[in-house]
Amino acid sequence: MSVSLLSWAVLNGLVTGVIYALTGVGLSIILGLLNIPNFAHGALYALGAYFLYAAAQAALGFWGGLIAAALGVALLGMAIEYLGLRRLYGVHPDYALLLTFGLSLILTEATIFVWGPTGFTFQPPLMLAGGVNLGVMVYPKYRLMIMLATGLLVLGCWLFVERTKYGAIIRAGIEDRDMASALGINIRRVFTLGFAAGAALAGIGGALMLPVRGIAPTMGVEIMPVAFVVVVLGGLGSLPGAIVAGLLVGVFQSLMTALWAPGADASVFALMTLGILLRPQGLLGQR
Amino acid sequence: MADRGRALVRLVALVAAVAVLPLFVRPVVAAEIWIFAIAAMALNLIFGYTGMLSFGQATFFGIGAYAGALMMIHWQAPLLLALAGGAVLGALTAAVLGYLCIQRLGIYFIMLTFGFNQMFFFIAYKWTDLTGGEDGLPGVPRPPLALGPLHLPLNTATRYYLFVAVVFLLLFYAMKRIVDSPLGLICRSIRENPNRAAAIGYDVKLYKWIAFTIAGAFTGLAGVLYAMMYGIVPLEAISWITSGDIVFMVLIGGLGNLYGPLLGAAGLKWLSEAVSVVWQRWPLILGVALVLVVLYLRGGLVEALARLREALARRRLRPRVREESA
Repeated sequence: MSVSLLSWAVLNGLVTGVIYALTGVGLSIILGLLNIPNFAHGALYALGAYFLYAAAQAALGFWGGLIAAALGVALLGMAIEYLGLRRLYGVHPDYALLLTFGLSLILTEATIFVWGPTGFTFQPPLMLAGGVNLGVMVYPKYRLMIMLATGLLVLGCWLFVERTKYGAIIRAGIEDRDMASALGINIRRVFTLGFAAGAALAGIGGALMLPVRGIAPTMGVEIMPVAFVVVVLGGLGSLPGAIVAGLLVGVFQSLMTALWAPGADASVFALMTLGILLRPQGLLGQR
Repeated sequence: MADRGRALVRLVALVAAVAVLPLFVRPVVAAEIWIFAIAAMALNLIFGYTGMLSFGQATFFGIGAYAGALMMIHWQAPLLLALAGGAVLGALTAAVLGYLCIQRLGIYFIMLTFGFNQMFFFIAYKWTDLTGGEDGLPGVPRPPLALGPLHLPLNTATRYYLFVAVVFLLLFYAMKRIVDSPLGLICRSIRENPNRAAAIGYDVKLYKWIAFTIAGAFTGLAGVLYAMMYGIVPLEAISWITSGDIVFMVLIGGLGNLYGPLLGAAGLKWLSEAVSVVWQRWPLILGVALVLVVLYLRGGLVEALARLREALARRRLRPRVREESA
């Protein structure tokens, strides 16, 4: 394999990797905080892309659309937690999983209902069109922006959780929700906001990928299993773990596609099952 | 004695339902209902009775379907041999994967079953020489039922329905015996409290593994029946959407009740048939049904029936109670 092909594969892997990391961090927050495997995560990711598409059509432009998409998905997440998941905290967690699964079907069908079953393509904003000469090859500017912006966003999330007072509350909720609420933290509000934040991250991920992959109602069904691979591989509830695993899975998948395309998708899941069996606490997890 | 009488009444009602179902729905749909009922009652054994939510039952359904179909296509295997082949391969796969999955609990267990399902899905998807990939595996024959002097062609939908119905009833009886046996009791004790089951001296992992493997055999056999029904193994047979469908059937029907998955399979398949004729967006209705069941009716259709019966009984009782208190 030539150098330019290899670096092309690695860079593409990093682009999908940062998106996997972003989506995985969102899923990880929800899983760690609320103890819910959010099967609607893929549908929320897809909705982010559709919201950006709709907002850009409505003359908000790319950047305004991105903010609108994040806010829209966050509001939806808030509603899901407040109206649905909240009623299930007392019963077995399997029911929450099934509720989110039902919601994912409803949301996916709703997008088909509103935007039709076929996909669209979407051009990146003008200032990010074209490519940059990296020496061995020319690489699209927009994809470099994704890497940079998402990298900063993921880093920001991590700093927020590790270094701020609100982050400490989230960590307390992940660690021991009963103790946190005994210390006077309104844990229910933290749950609502936590779910909204996790959903928003998925929505931003989907929206950012829109100019790269285009849009289709099935995009949620495709990313959802991968997001779970990332979270499980990184360690349940570990945000740095999800980041590392996201990048790892992205690059691994991209390299596998370059080396042996038929086995690429299956090998991602082989990686996860191997991970669970050999290192159940995850790459960076403690539990 | 009363329990035994009630169980007999239920069994007779089931046989009657199997007999009259094709009068209400097309025989093909009726056959599909009992085929998925087999897969659903297998999941019920591990999810409803043993407490392990497997999100990967399509692995065994699909492998059974491909195995039986390939045996019949390439080796001209007779009917019963193909069914046995699917069951054995389903059991073997479940034995290997189950051994790995049960090493972990909770969400990790679910993700392992799901991860293996995805792995096998992509293998089937890409290995087009063997499985036909996205186009499905066409040309699956439906050999006649040959058993000693008996020789019955299954070439019409009604005949095939009768065959599926008999197989289903036999498997249902087998499942009832398993659930009522000491093994079934141990499974339930593991669901209720695995630590206590281990403390009493039962090898929890061993029994989980046995239940998982039995379910694999049932599901693989259901896969072969499915392949013969339409003469094709579609790729969806091994996709996680099918795994999800099987989970919904058990959940909507009623967990940990012998008849729950049957009600769930019948309800779901009948509804999907009735709805998709007039409307393409069937998953939307499924999603709404799922959300409603999870929020308001966690016992499923079985609980709904029980509540209805209770309400009726209360209504009948009320006048008498009033007289007594007066």
